[in-house]
Amino acid sequence: MALNIDSLTASQIASGIAAGDFTATEVAHASLDAIEARDGAVKAFLQVSPELALDAAAHIDAARAAGEALPPLAGVPLAIKDNMNLVGTRTTCASRMLENYESVYTATCVERMLQAGCLPMGKANMDEFAFGSSTESSAFHRTNNPWDTERVPGGSSGGSAAAVAAGEVALSLGSDTGGSIRQPASLCGVVGLKPTYGAVSRYGVVAFGSSLDQVGPFGRTVEDVALAMNALVGAGHDPYDCTSQDCPVDFLEHLEDSIEGKRVGIIPSFMEAEGLTLEVKQAVERAAHELEAQGAKLVEVDLPHLDAAIAAYYVIGPAEAFSNLARFDGIRYGYQEEGCANLTDQSSLSRAHGFGAEAKRRQMLGAYLLSSGVYDKYYYAAQKARTLITQDYNRAYEQVDTILMPASPRTAFKFGEISDPTQMYLSDLYTISINICGNGGISVPLGLGGDTHLPVSAQLVGPAFKDRQLLTFARALERGIAGGMSVAPDFAGKGGEL
Amino acid sequence: MALSEKDVRGIAEYAKIALTDDELTEMTAYMNNAVSILEPILQYDLPDVEPTFHPIGSLSNVMGDDGLEPARDLPLDVALENAGSARDRYFRVPSILGEGESE
Amino acid sequence: MKELSEVLQDWEAVIGLEIHTELTALDTKMFCNCKLSHDDEPNANVCPVCLGLPGALPVPNKKAIESIVKAGLATNCEIQKHSMFYRKHYFYPDMAKNFQTTQGPVAFAMYGHLDLDVTGQGAAERPDCAFGAAEAESLASASANAEGLSTFMTSQMREGNQRAGHLASYDASNMQMPERRADGCYTVPIRILRIHMEEDAAKMVHVGGAEGRITAAAESLVDYNRCGTPLIELVTEPDLRTPEEARLFMEKLRRIFVTLGISDCSMEKGSMRCDGNVSLRRRGETKLGTKTELKNLNSFKSLHDGLAYEICRQAEVLEEGGIIYQETRHWEPSRKRTVVMRVKETADDYRLFPDPDLAPFDLNDAFIENCREQIPELPDAKRARFEADFGIKAADAEQIAGDPAYADFFEKAAAGTSGKEAQTVANLLVNELVGYLKSAGTALDESGIAPVQVAALAKLLASDAISSNQAHEVFELMAQTGDDPNKIVDERGMRQVSDTGALQPIVDEVLANCADQAQQYRDGNQKVLGFLVGQCMKASRGKGNPKLFNELLRASLS
Repeated sequence: MALNIDSLTASQIASGIAAGDFTATEVAHASLDAIEARDGAVKAFLQVSPELALDAAAHIDAARAAGEALPPLAGVPLAIKDNMNLVGTRTTCASRMLENYESVYTATCVERMLQAGCLPMGKANMDEFAFGSSTESSAFHRTNNPWDTERVPGGSSGGSAAAVAAGEVALSLGSDTGGSIRQPASLCGVVGLKPTYGAVSRYGVVAFGSSLDQVGPFGRTVEDVALAMNALVGAGHDPYDCTSQDCPVDFLEHLEDSIEGKRVGIIPSFMEAEGLTLEVKQAVERAAHELEAQGAKLVEVDLPHLDAAIAAYYVIGPAEAFSNLARFDGIRYGYQEEGCANLTDQSSLSRAHGFGAEAKRRQMLGAYLLSSGVYDKYYYAAQKARTLITQDYNRAYEQVDTILMPASPRTAFKFGEISDPTQMYLSDLYTISINICGNGGISVPLGLGGDTHLPVSAQLVGPAFKDRQLLTFARALERGIAGGMSVAPDFAGKGGEL
Repeated sequence: MALSEKDVRGIAEYAKIALTDDELTEMTAYMNNAVSILEPILQYDLPDVEPTFHPIGSLSNVMGDDGLEPARDLPLDVALENAGSARDRYFRVPSILGEGESE
Repeated sequence: MKELSEVLQDWEAVIGLEIHTELTALDTKMFCNCKLSHDDEPNANVCPVCLGLPGALPVPNKKAIESIVKAGLATNCEIQKHSMFYRKHYFYPDMAKNFQTTQGPVAFAMYGHLDLDVTGQGAAERPDCAFGAAEAESLASASANAEGLSTFMTSQMREGNQRAGHLASYDASNMQMPERRADGCYTVPIRILRIHMEEDAAKMVHVGGAEGRITAAAESLVDYNRCGTPLIELVTEPDLRTPEEARLFMEKLRRIFVTLGISDCSMEKGSMRCDGNVSLRRRGETKLGTKTELKNLNSFKSLHDGLAYEICRQAEVLEEGGIIYQETRHWEPSRKRTVVMRVKETADDYRLFPDPDLAPFDLNDAFIENCREQIPELPDAKRARFEADFGIKAADAEQIAGDPAYADFFEKAAAGTSGKEAQTVANLLVNELVGYLKSAGTALDESGIAPVQVAALAKLLASDAISSNQAHEVFELMAQTGDDPNKIVDERGMRQVSDTGALQPIVDEVLANCADQAQQYRDGNQKVLGFLVGQCMKASRGKGNPKLFNELLRASLS
C-alpha cells in the first residue's frame, strides 16, 4: 500500500530513512509532490526550493550509504518563514521591499535545522515583516487555511502553520513577536511553540521587535516540536546573538512524564474576556478537566497587570519596528524607486512604495512614540508595565507550574472580516503578554470547535527556560484529547506518495 | 492632544515615508486611534518600578573577541549583489542636495 | 576684525570640545569581526553586521570596552558600572542601519578631568582678568548653561535623571582655580563630562560637483569599510577659555591615548578628530551666548586657528549689534575662515532608545581592575619621574614622556646616567633624533637607530670628546651606517684633544704669532678672543677642544 508523506511524523520520517525504508531523496520528492498538489489551493509557500531540498537529501543518502550516523531530523521536510535568511533563497518578508532580496548568509536557526538533517523545502508566506495576525498583509498573496480555504490561517507565521496543517511538510519554523506562532498554530490545528526569549538565536531572522521576537517550530505532534527544539537550542548560545542563552536540555526527555501532582493555573478573567467564543472557552475547559483527570491540580491565579499588556505591546513593538526597519532605504538592498533626482526623494519613495500599509503604519507610530517628549511618557511607562507583568507571572509561578488559557479567542476568521487594524491588534489578547515578559508558550490543538467545526486549541505558558516542562503538559493534552491532530482532511493524501 | 496632519507629515518626513494627501488623512486617523488605545499605559509610569528594557533576566556584559572571522566577510560582488545602484566598488546614491552632513 | 588678544579683554570665550578617537589598535570592528583598516579597497571589509543586512545582530568587541575603560581611568573619570547601548536614529547613507549604536545618558566613563599646564607664549592668550574667583564663577555658570546632545541626555532623559546632580559628581579635591605664576604660566583643570563608546560611519565620496562639495555633487559613493569602526567620543565641559588651551588639551589627550596604546591618534589620517563648540559672553556675564559648532579642525594648528578665527568673528558680529545663529561651521584652513555648513533651527530628534539587541553592561570590579592593571605609566607621571630621576629639563621631559616610543628609547639610552649626560641624551633626542626622522621620513622603530648608539654619542659629547657640531655629523653617520659613534669618531679622527699639556704649546704659538690681537684683548677688547680660539682650532686642525682653548687663552693673557 502506498504510503503518503503526510501520514508520517518527523520522527517517523527520520527513523524510516535510518532504517532504509525509504531514502531522503524519495522523501524530498514526496514533499515536493505534495506541495505541487496542494499548495495551489493553500498557497503556504512564497518560494519552493527543490534544488536545495534535493541536494540536502542527496547528502543524507550518501552519508547513510557511507555508514555514517544520521542526524536526528535526517530527511525531514522543513518550511521556513520568509523572514529567515537562507543562502540560495530570497528572503522577502512577504514585502515588495525585499521582493528580489537574495540571502547572502544563513540564519543560525535555519543553519541548525539543516545541521540536524532537515530538507529546506522553501520559504513560507507571512504577514509583511510579520505585522499582522492573518497573513493577509503579505504583499504577494494570501494563504488559505487548509481547514477552510475561505478563511485565514492566522499570522504572522500563517504560511508556516498552513504548510504543516496541509501535510506539505512535517516541520516548519516561524517567529512569534506577539503570538505569531501560537495564533496561526491554533487556527490551523497544529502544535506551535514560542520558546523563552533567548532560547533560540535570532541571528539572521529579519527583526520586527527585537526584545519580543522569538523563533520557534510548528509540527503536527508535540514530539516533533521537541525534536525541532533539540536542533534549535542544542548547540547552546549563539555567539552572533548577544541575547541568546544556553539552555542545554533534551526536550525529548520527560516528554512522556506524568503530570500528576503538578499545578495548573487558570486566570478567571481570561476565561470571561470579551470576544472569547464559547467553543474556544469550552475547549479550554475540557483541557483543564483533562489535566485534572491526569492528576494535576487546578489553581486560580491572579495577574493584576495583564490589562496593560496590549498597550505595552503596541508601544514597544512599533518603536522597535520603526528602528529595525529604518535600514530599508533602497540603497544597500531592497526596492529602489527609479529616476529620483535626490537622495531624500529616493529614500522616501522607495519606502513609500516598498512597504505595505501596515508596515508604514507601525513605523509611523513607532517614530512618533520614540520622539522627544513622547518617548519619556509612553516608552518608559510601557517598559515599567513590562516589569509589572513579568513580576505578575513570576509570582503566579510560585503557585503553579504552568498556566492554561486560550491561544486565540476564536477559530479562523474569514478573509477581510477584520479590517480595522486596531481591532486586529485586540485579537492578540492571549498571546501578547507572554512576549512582553519573554516567557515560553505553546499552542496545543484540541480538535474541532462545536460551532464552527474548525480547529480549537489551548495555550500553555510557563516560566522562563522551562519550555521542556511546557512540552510535557502539551503532550499530556495531546495524549488525552487530540491524539495528535491529523492533516486537514481536504488535503490529506493529495499527492505526496512515498 | 490629537496629532494634526501637520504633525503626522513631520513624522513621515523624518521617517522617510512619502505620503499622498489621502494617505496622510488616513494615517492621521490611524495614529490618533492607535495613540488613544495606548493611553492606558500612562498610568503604569509608577515611581517605584524599574523599566525592563531587556527581557533577559540578569544577562549582561555579553561581548565577543577582537578576532578576525574571514568566513563571515562578504566578497565585493556579494556585498553589492542586492544594491539598487552601484559604481566600481561603491554603493551609489543620488545627489544629496540640501541635506546636512552627518556627525 | 580685531586681534584675539584684544577680543579676549572684553569677551570671554567659552569653548567645549567633542573629540572622537578611533580605536585603531584593535584588529576588528565594534560589533562584528571585520578588519579595521584605513587603506583597503572600498567595501573590502564588510559583513552582514556592518552592512546592516536584514537579520544581522551586533556583538560588542570586548577589547573596545576595555579600551574605553582604560581611557576613562587615565582621565580621572568615574567608571559607570551600569550602562547600555542606545540607538541614535538619522537617515543618512553613511549609517548602514540608519541608526548609530552609541551610548545613552550613562556613558562608560563620566565626570573626569585633566589638569592642563599652559606654558610658553600661549599662556598669554588668557588675559589677566580671567583668573581666580572670577574664573570659579565662570566655570559654574558655563556648565550649568551648556546644552548639547550629551548634556541633554544626561539631564533630560529618564535614564540619566539620577545623575542630574552631576556637577557635584566631579571630584573637586584636586581641582584648583587657575592662578598665573610668576613666569606667566598657569595650570587649569578641564572637566570631562563623559567618554562614550560608539561606532564610526562609512566614508562618502561626492562626485560630479566642483571640489567634491556635497551640495554640488551629482551623486555620492559609499564605502562601508569604516562603518562600525570602534570610536570613543570624549565630551569636555565648556571649561576651555582660549584656543591655546583647546590645542593643549587635545595634545595632552593625544599623548595619553597613544601611551594607553588604544589608538594611533592620527589627526592627519582622521583617527582622531575634534569638533569645537564656542560662544562668547561679555566678561562678568553669567548667561551663555549662542554657540556655533566648528568642524574640520583636523590638525592642532587648525584647532587653534579655527577657534581663534571664530572667536574674533563672533566678537565682530556681536559688537556690530548682530546675532549669532546656532549653526555648524566649517573651518577652511587655506582661506583662514569659517563658513556655514548647516543651520540648526530646531534640536535634532534622534529618537534615542536602549538597543534591545545588546545586553546591558554591569561591569564588575574585577573587569575594571584588570583594565587598570593594563594602564602603563602615563605621561604626567613619566615626565615627573624623568625630571626627578634623570634631572632633565621640564620641557624636554614633557616632550619625551608624551610619546611612548621616545620615552622607552630615552630610558634605555639614558639608563644609569643623570644630570649632564642624561640631559645630553635628551638633547640628542629632541634635536637630532626628531630632526633626523623627520627629514628621513621614517618612524623611530623603523629607523634602525639603537639607544646604545645615542648613549655612546651622549658620552662622547658630555665628556667634550667631540663638539656639538661634530655630534650632528656623527649622528647622521651613525644613523645611516648603524655604526658605533666611537668607531665613527676614531676612524675619522674627530676626537677632540682635551689634554691641556698638548694644547698649551699651540696656545703659546698662536699668541706668539698674533701679538697684535693679544694686545687688543689685554686692552679690553673681549671680542678678539673668538679670533684667537679660531686660530688655535686651525693650528690643531680642528681637533682641539674649543672650550679648553678658550680657558687656556684667558689664563695666558691674564
